Amino acid sequence: MPLELRRAFVILTLVMIAVAVVWATRFDAMPPAEFSLQNGTDPKTLDPHRATGSPESRILFNAFSGLLQMLPDGEPDPETGLQPMSAQPAVAKSYEVADDKLTYTFHLRDDAMWSDGTPITSRDFVWSWTRMLHPGTACEYNFQLFSLPNAQAFSTGVVEVGDRVEVELWDRPFPDGRREDEVGEANIQNFPRGTMLYGTLKEIRKPPEPDIDPEIDDNANADLMGQWQESWVYVVDIAEVEEDGPDTSVLWEEVVSTQTFCANPSSPIADEKTARIHNVLVAFDQLGALETPDDQTLIVHLKDPLPYFPSLTAYYPLFPVPKHCIEEYGMPMWTKPENIVSNGPYVVGLRRLRDRVRLVKNPRWFDADSVAIETIDALSTEGQNTALNMYETGQLDWVTDPPGALMETLRERDDFYAAPMLSLYFYRINTTRKPLDDPRIRRAIAMAINRTQIVEQVTKAGQVPAYSLVPPGIAGYQSPPGLEPDLDRAKALLAEAGYPGGRGIPKITILYNTSEGHRAIAEVIQQQLQNTLNIKLELQNMEWGSFLDKTNQIDYDIARAGWIADYADPNTFLDLWVTGGPQNSTGWSNPVFDGLIQQAAAETDARTRMELLAKAESIWIEEMPVIPVYFYVGINMVKPRVEGFFPSPQDIHPFQLLKTRDPESVR
Amino acid sequence: MKELSGYLLRRFGWMLFTVWAVYTVSFVLMRLVPGNPFSSERTVPPAIERQLRARYNLDAPPIEQYTDYLVGILTRFDLGVSIRLEDYTVNEVLAEGFPVSASLAILALVFAITLGVTAGVISAVYRGTFADLSMMATAVLGIAIPNFVLASLAILLFVFMVPIFPAAGWGTLKQVMLPALCLGSPVAAYIARLTRAGMLEVLSKEHVRTAFAKGLPKRSVILRHVLPGALLPVVSYLGPATASVLTGSLVLEKIFALPGIGSHFIYAATQRDYTLAMGMVLTYTVLLFVMNTLVDVSYAIIDPRVKLE
Repeated sequence: MPLELRRAFVILTLVMIAVAVVWATRFDAMPPAEFSLQNGTDPKTLDPHRATGSPESRILFNAFSGLLQMLPDGEPDPETGLQPMSAQPAVAKSYEVADDKLTYTFHLRDDAMWSDGTPITSRDFVWSWTRMLHPGTACEYNFQLFSLPNAQAFSTGVVEVGDRVEVELWDRPFPDGRREDEVGEANIQNFPRGTMLYGTLKEIRKPPEPDIDPEIDDNANADLMGQWQESWVYVVDIAEVEEDGPDTSVLWEEVVSTQTFCANPSSPIADEKTARIHNVLVAFDQLGALETPDDQTLIVHLKDPLPYFPSLTAYYPLFPVPKHCIEEYGMPMWTKPENIVSNGPYVVGLRRLRDRVRLVKNPRWFDADSVAIETIDALSTEGQNTALNMYETGQLDWVTDPPGALMETLRERDDFYAAPMLSLYFYRINTTRKPLDDPRIRRAIAMAINRTQIVEQVTKAGQVPAYSLVPPGIAGYQSPPGLEPDLDRAKALLAEAGYPGGRGIPKITILYNTSEGHRAIAEVIQQQLQNTLNIKLELQNMEWGSFLDKTNQIDYDIARAGWIADYADPNTFLDLWVTGGPQNSTGWSNPVFDGLIQQAAAETDARTRMELLAKAESIWIEEMPVIPVYFYVGINMVKPRVEGFFPSPQDIHPFQLLKTRDPESVR
Repeated sequence: MKELSGYLLRRFGWMLFTVWAVYTVSFVLMRLVPGNPFSSERTVPPAIERQLRARYNLDAPPIEQYTDYLVGILTRFDLGVSIRLEDYTVNEVLAEGFPVSASLAILALVFAITLGVTAGVISAVYRGTFADLSMMATAVLGIAIPNFVLASLAILLFVFMVPIFPAAGWGTLKQVMLPALCLGSPVAAYIARLTRAGMLEVLSKEHVRTAFAKGLPKRSVILRHVLPGALLPVVSYLGPATASVLTGSLVLEKIFALPGIGSHFIYAATQRDYTLAMGMVLTYTVLLFVMNTLVDVSYAIIDPRVKLE
């Protein structure tokens, strides 16, 4: 290579490096928000029907408003400082309950509107709740509306002959206006709507059922069954539909024609007249669960008298979502900051992955005058130490996850808030394996664990030792006495079960997901049981995905777990353990327990209901399919310059109540 | 020139092959690992899981998933929708995070080269003096101390004891300095040692002795006759250095709360976000391949003895 070229190359390289450095050091300066908090990680989505975790909930509770909202109610607990909360008016200015506790009438505010100025009407709630329940949305919290008639069948896609059904044709529109049947590709969306037909299901024709090979794995079998179900042909008597402005009403008795439908156009039993469809579902929104006599009135009919229904409407899965925005942009575009339309005290102004979500005050919120802080940054800071460093140097005003190692020092500080939360740390027991299938052994283990040592020497943030299932602090509920530690009793039980002095007990493994904190607790328990009952435990840690797999397949001896209340009612903890429940994963089953839970669900008297639930809990304690370890505390650190922050039972902190002491000082 | 374009074409062919191989291995490995993108503490009901699997084409036969996704990548550069960060496509995640990681890597490398070469030259010229010894001792420490330990020390020093830098975050030049220093330091240490060794070797060469004998000033001998030859090992180290800067940033991004792509890498893997994990693996593959090719090419240009093959 000639010398000149080499020189040119060297110069070129130097120029390129200079350009790169200039590029790398250019930044778009962004003024800091008035208030910033550690949100833990990125919200996975801003769609209220798809979100699940707490980083999402912190954003959604403040970017959207439901019929009701959780607000402080009454004086804080003098001992713990815990501020009781209750569901109070938000988009609904008031509501009434009928005497049978089955009908709720919500009266919406006249001035409720979306952040783009579109008014919010009762129809928005019907559409949102139908979307939340629709199987295509795959909302994990869909069960919160299962007390509405037909909701569960609609959501799980179960139809029976004779049902009044809706049929969605395979012609969903794409954002560009073309339709699926023209493009030839499915438009997979959260609750899109192609052409809807309504009618009565007359017959389901099924091709021969495929053979399930138990040798191959569950997923493959599930796929096989799924494909088989897609080839079913549905015969439906199509009913006449009457359009009345924005409402449609179905005249179920007026049969227009009889048609056949199938999801798979190449199904062996379909003929050329069979129309391609997405789903045949029970017509939830046409069967009277929800009524909208006018724009400001929403009537909800329940099938069970749920005393906690009002507080469910204050939880984000039941918040309304903007139909006009979702239909215009579709998923995932509608949640982009430039497109999203919401109705809460704040709107999403900016979202940068791994960095922040910026919330900006929504001037169109019904109570905007009371909102003090204009901009809030929810930083996706994950590192516990990083967050504390940022807090100490003034980059953060609120830390939601302080470092565990420093708990003892931090606890002493005035800006440290720890208060009991409705959540439980526990160990699942595989009740199908020997020797843990014997309730006496489970009780013996539970009674031999010294929880005080765990909360005082390991977790150290003021957690409360747990001997029962339901955390204290739910109004009107008193847990039955739990299994307090009692070594003599534990030893006696062990002997009774045939293992005097722990002799002959096979090795038992504790499974936990890899984490320092979980390991420390498991080690303490390992040592305690070795010393007291002479039971040898082995510890096994697993990475999160594999750990969940093992737990769900009940392929463990003892496995750690945690549960946070979905709503402030004992039922959220108790119904986990019904036979075959999706979260049960212990193999435990008790018909009396199941019966009590069912009875409680149908009970209209609040006191009797709580008594039934307490009875169920005492059975659970007697049988110990799960060992409760401690009740979590909600831990937060908030700068003294912030007013309006208080610990709450579900760790919900409405941003609109926060004020900075000196509004002029940005930081 | 013809030689060069032929070489680049061949390398491009190899890159496609490597990408394909990496794609295949990752695809198989990801599906062999237990767990799936939809597993969570709250068990997802089977009906819902089926809907989710259909949304991401995971209900198709594996071979169809394999080809559909590969065709999408090759024809449209479309890496699909992230399964876990469902408001984003993988391309969007990369577009947001890559500039951050790139800025950080560029600053770290520039810092490492400047500091490393300077220190190497000084300690070679003043071989055996206190300056040489102390610099080389520091370099050994620099290589031995992992960057996350260095980061903790640096935060203690420059954030709390002498508050000149902010603790974490992204958006100003001040915020990027500390992470870039921590990321670049081990590389700088290595470069310093390489430069020193190269300098010592060239200093003992005959043409250098001749230059000194002709009475050329020391400064121009060192800069014109010694340094270019001594830098060859440094240039060849730049490939691995880029790799170490890119992978090293995974940890630093967490410590300094930087919105780069490194942290997505870890999350995509632990949360079984198949599409995002694939996007990350392929991006890193292409990046490292391109950097290595650039290094090879520049090596051949600087040193006439090297032929591109």
